[in-house]
Amino acid sequence: MTAAEAAIRICDVSHQFGEIGQARHVQALKDTSLDIARGELHCLIGPSGCGKSTLLSVIGGLTKPTTGSVTVSGKPVRGPMPHDIAYVFQESALFPWNTVLENIVLGMKFQGVPKAKRRDRARRALEAVGLEAFAQHFPGQLSGGMRQRAALARALSLETDILLMDEPFGALDEQTRMVLGEDLSVLLSRSHKTIVFVTHSLGEAVFLADRVAVFSARPGTIKQIIAVDEPHPRKPSFMTALKFHALRDQLYGLLHDEIRKSIAETAPLRRRYDDTAEKNEGVA
Amino acid sequence: MAVTHPHARTAIVRTEAPLKRWFLRHPGAMRGLVIALLLLIWEFAARFLLDSDFISPPSVVLMSLGTLFATPGVPKALGLALYEIAIGFALAAVIGAGIGLAVGLSRFAHRSFMPIILLLYGLPQVTILPIFVLLFGIGAASKIAFGVSHGMFPIMISVAAGVQKINPVLRTSARSMGASRAQILYHVIFPHAVPSFFTGLRLGMTGVLLGVLLAELYVSTAGIGFFTSLFTQNLEPTRLIGLVAMLAVIAVVLNEIVRRAELHYGRWRA
Repeated sequence: MTAAEAAIRICDVSHQFGEIGQARHVQALKDTSLDIARGELHCLIGPSGCGKSTLLSVIGGLTKPTTGSVTVSGKPVRGPMPHDIAYVFQESALFPWNTVLENIVLGMKFQGVPKAKRRDRARRALEAVGLEAFAQHFPGQLSGGMRQRAALARALSLETDILLMDEPFGALDEQTRMVLGEDLSVLLSRSHKTIVFVTHSLGEAVFLADRVAVFSARPGTIKQIIAVDEPHPRKPSFMTALKFHALRDQLYGLLHDEIRKSIAETAPLRRRYDDTAEKNEGVA
Repeated sequence: MAVTHPHARTAIVRTEAPLKRWFLRHPGAMRGLVIALLLLIWEFAARFLLDSDFISPPSVVLMSLGTLFATPGVPKALGLALYEIAIGFALAAVIGAGIGLAVGLSRFAHRSFMPIILLLYGLPQVTILPIFVLLFGIGAASKIAFGVSHGMFPIMISVAAGVQKINPVLRTSARSMGASRAQILYHVIFPHAVPSFFTGLRLGMTGVLLGVLLAELYVSTAGIGFFTSLFTQNLEPTRLIGLVAMLAVIAVVLNEIVRRAELHYGRWRA
């Protein structure tokens, strides 16, 4: 992929929390490089703590990486770039004291959209996610799925080329997330946005992504990239297709060992527990 | 719409008497009943059991409120108390919210100054009341200052705690959309701190009332404190209790104003 084709270029990004030698030192990401093409939906999947959310927040300019660099549309990322990148978070990041409409309008105010254009754009974004009837509701009056739709509407209203989504459907029940996944696929086929999507769900990754980057256990780095060659919008019938299952199984095969490794980090705890158990038996 | 099972409904209807259900739906009625009962006990005790030099029945107090207001200087003293409480409350709110925000927003400020605030709040301030009088004189200023020093700490502490409890993802998402520091303060931190500010205001209100009245009782030449000691020494419980009842009315009215404002600004939580 040439620099012109890539919407996002990630070059040798490493990130650690805390200093080496400190108790809370964690190497979250190690020498990760990735090019994300314009208009693709790219999923990041991996075991817990592999640094996929950290990478997303590095792309978004919310976290400064320890080493390495990210360029978005040819510009180096040094901080939040609200005109290029919009974010959808895992939990509801709507302001609970503002109505859905006020939330969307406020996002555009932060971004710097002229006042006269805000209401109109907010209406259009709400229509795109099917929430126009709930403009005057407060987030607390909506279901979890509707709240994430509203958060998506707020991100869409910013009219950025890039959308970063950090497990946006992670807190929702499976049925709701399947429906939202279908809607997102439809939306994507119309909007030609570049989307980076972090998920834990194998099915969600295969269903949504054009490409899936599989992360290794901590310190995380990209183990393999799998392409899902299927046009958007994707229908629910894709989920029963042989291709879907083959890809899902391939992903699981790649992830299985990494998940074991990330769970193995807790093994010393178990040994300590066994030691005390033996001592207690000795006393008895 | 949690319980719609037909058998569950009929079971509830059968086990609860209609009177009990009526009371459960009208908590105000129960409250009124308890107050009426206490007034009756008071009335009975004051008329038949206790010395009329020390206590008057509520009916007599109510009937003689007119003579209380006819006492020269009493309306002015009540007006002065209201003035001191209102000014003290406004100052306590501004100082408490300002320091609370500053201490809540900065980890460094919180770790440096919060122990000092808690120590000062824990001090029995009445022991240093004479210092307030020496500093601010025997007029209204020392009463207001003592009210402020009682009322500002609860406001400070609840605002600081409220600001700290803010969900970090709200600040992060505002930042990702390009919000400036001032915009985050105005659109994210202020609205988040509003409920704890009101909790602090209602706690601070009792503090201001206590501080002002303590200072009034300690030294006063024409205020509530003066009349309180006058009525006590002259064995006039009717007018004494009437005066205290008027102070209670001031407290209830101020509290109600704060409560209304709280409901107005807390609509989103309904």
